[in-house]
Amino acid sequence: MASRFANLPDYIQGVTWEIWEGRQISSLHRAYGKDMVARSTIGVMTGNEDVIRDTLASLAAFPDRQIYGDDVIWSGSEEEGYLSSHRSMIIGTHTGHGVFGPPTGRRVAARCIADCYVQDDVITDEWLCYDMAAMVQQLGHSPEAWARASIAREGGTEQARRPFAPDIDLPGPYQGRGNDHPLGHRLAEILTRIMAKDVAVIGESYDRAVHVWHPGDVTGWGIPFAEAQWMALRTCFPDAEFRIDHQIGRADAGEPDRAAIRWSLTGHHTGFGAYGAPTGVPVHVMGFTHAEFGPWGLRREFTLWDPVSIWKQILLARPDHAYGAL
Amino acid sequence: MFWDRWTDFPDYIIGITKEIWEDRGIATLHEYYAPDIVMRTPMGLTRGNQGVIAGTMATIDEFPDRRLLAEDVIWSEHATGHLSSHRLITSATHTRPGVFGPATGRRFTIRVIADCAAKDGAIFDEWLVRDYGGIARQLGFDPREVAARLLREGGPAPFTPDQDVDGGYHGRGNDNDWGLQYEDLLTRIMGADFRAIHTGYDRAVIGEYPGGVQGIGREQAVEFWLGLRSSFPDATFRIHHRIGMDGGMLSPRAAVRWSLDGTHSGWGSFGRPSGAKVHVMGISHAEFGPWGLRREYALIDEIAIWKQILNHTGES
Repeated sequence: MASRFANLPDYIQGVTWEIWEGRQISSLHRAYGKDMVARSTIGVMTGNEDVIRDTLASLAAFPDRQIYGDDVIWSGSEEEGYLSSHRSMIIGTHTGHGVFGPPTGRRVAARCIADCYVQDDVITDEWLCYDMAAMVQQLGHSPEAWARASIAREGGTEQARRPFAPDIDLPGPYQGRGNDHPLGHRLAEILTRIMAKDVAVIGESYDRAVHVWHPGDVTGWGIPFAEAQWMALRTCFPDAEFRIDHQIGRADAGEPDRAAIRWSLTGHHTGFGAYGAPTGVPVHVMGFTHAEFGPWGLRREFTLWDPVSIWKQILLARPDHAYGAL
Repeated sequence: MFWDRWTDFPDYIIGITKEIWEDRGIATLHEYYAPDIVMRTPMGLTRGNQGVIAGTMATIDEFPDRRLLAEDVIWSEHATGHLSSHRLITSATHTRPGVFGPATGRRFTIRVIADCAAKDGAIFDEWLVRDYGGIARQLGFDPREVAARLLREGGPAPFTPDQDVDGGYHGRGNDNDWGLQYEDLLTRIMGADFRAIHTGYDRAVIGEYPGGVQGIGREQAVEFWLGLRSSFPDATFRIHHRIGMDGGMLSPRAAVRWSLDGTHSGWGSFGRPSGAKVHVMGISHAEFGPWGLRREYALIDEIAIWKQILNHTGES
């Protein structure tokens, strides 16, 4: 890294702190590229001006917001640029006005994974998922109700902001696919087999005591829990195409063996499940999985996707749909 | 013979735990536990395998679907035996009457850390802390009230050092840096220098504390340790066993067994100061990363502490 930081993880942790807790929102003019593409499950933003406005809005609503960076799993080099997959917990009190409406005074804690491409100390490409389901639940709403309300507030189905899907994606500078480390392949194979309905892979390759964190503040231990979580997702979109979009494995001294994968499901809502009866609506799921491996298998799994954005995709196409509808 | 069955020492510890509990091989305790085993928990001291077998059956009877998942085994070697500090996450449904009274049908998930000394394939000396406060809360009880009920019912006195007997293990762990580092952090914290948390812990630290409490960030680590220390401000803090390990796929990590001995003379996690003489047995595990201590699992038994307090005040 040029200058101020010892290595890529320190750079990511450092600039994140400066921007948010350090209030140097304007440092995004330097830290983020002028034409960067920032994709999140919520939609696509281009240019650091949009990112700066979005950052300010989040801080105005949660002024005491802190970002606790739990891990940075990265690939690349100074020459080709780095891809940083940064997992954090975002904690703040809802004391300001903003997209979440008038202040509720509630404390919100939600996980976030941000994949950022760093070229010469500037972030020029990004993929991000907040645990929006946890955020809205902690503010007193269900993901379904929140998606419905946000469509209404954004001007109805014609005008509302569209969640991220490949057809609204914009090309950015990053063309990498990660690295070739065996731990990345190991996690890729696990996820690919789960998504191919070969759920037995969990029993074969997870530690009996695995600790799993999934969206919506869902957390639990053990193989049956992991199996149930993954089956619950896949069954809503049983014929969707699963893709590994980015894959990193790392075995660093002083760190657990670990991997970071960004994946997607692209298809249709054709199964009964958390989103109610099948609607046939086209759905895209952007997902992120971080995993730690130990002597007895995969022992920690942090996965994020965004159930609120899935609901929004369904409700934009089928405003009459509801989970409980008969 | 031993190595035919187990690939390494952690494999043995994890394997026999599953055999004894989940596979219902309670009788295997005759093989895996020495006849004169000394087993200390904050709730009391048990001498001899017969007592361990009886206790195991009583727990399985009350919680038949109990699962014990091995999160980690942090271990060291000594001339008197291997010491395994075994952290478990355990969950069960309270489907039958027992220590916690009539079945509530509720589920709990809590942690246990068992320090077991083993030699020649048998465990002969043990210290175990179970998050009884977490079980009580998740079954719908107040830990203080559970302690009061247990006192009224009689039963063994909570463990205090005067009851202790020599079980044969004389190791103190090892001198690996990570164990020394955690010992130093805990010693500073117990010396009321809570800055140790701000300088030595990762700001994203995830702490798992008694009562099934999960804390994210340094402030919540301070909350646990300060609440405990503040309750027993004059207590003597001692480190009994300290292991550090690194390498082998996992984060650098440490296991420390410690105690507090003194009087309940301050406001803190245990309410109004009572002046009761209290012994606190604690075991904690830590994982370290590039930005400091990033995971902490600290266990004490709140019910055993409440029993000592209520026994003193006579409030049961």
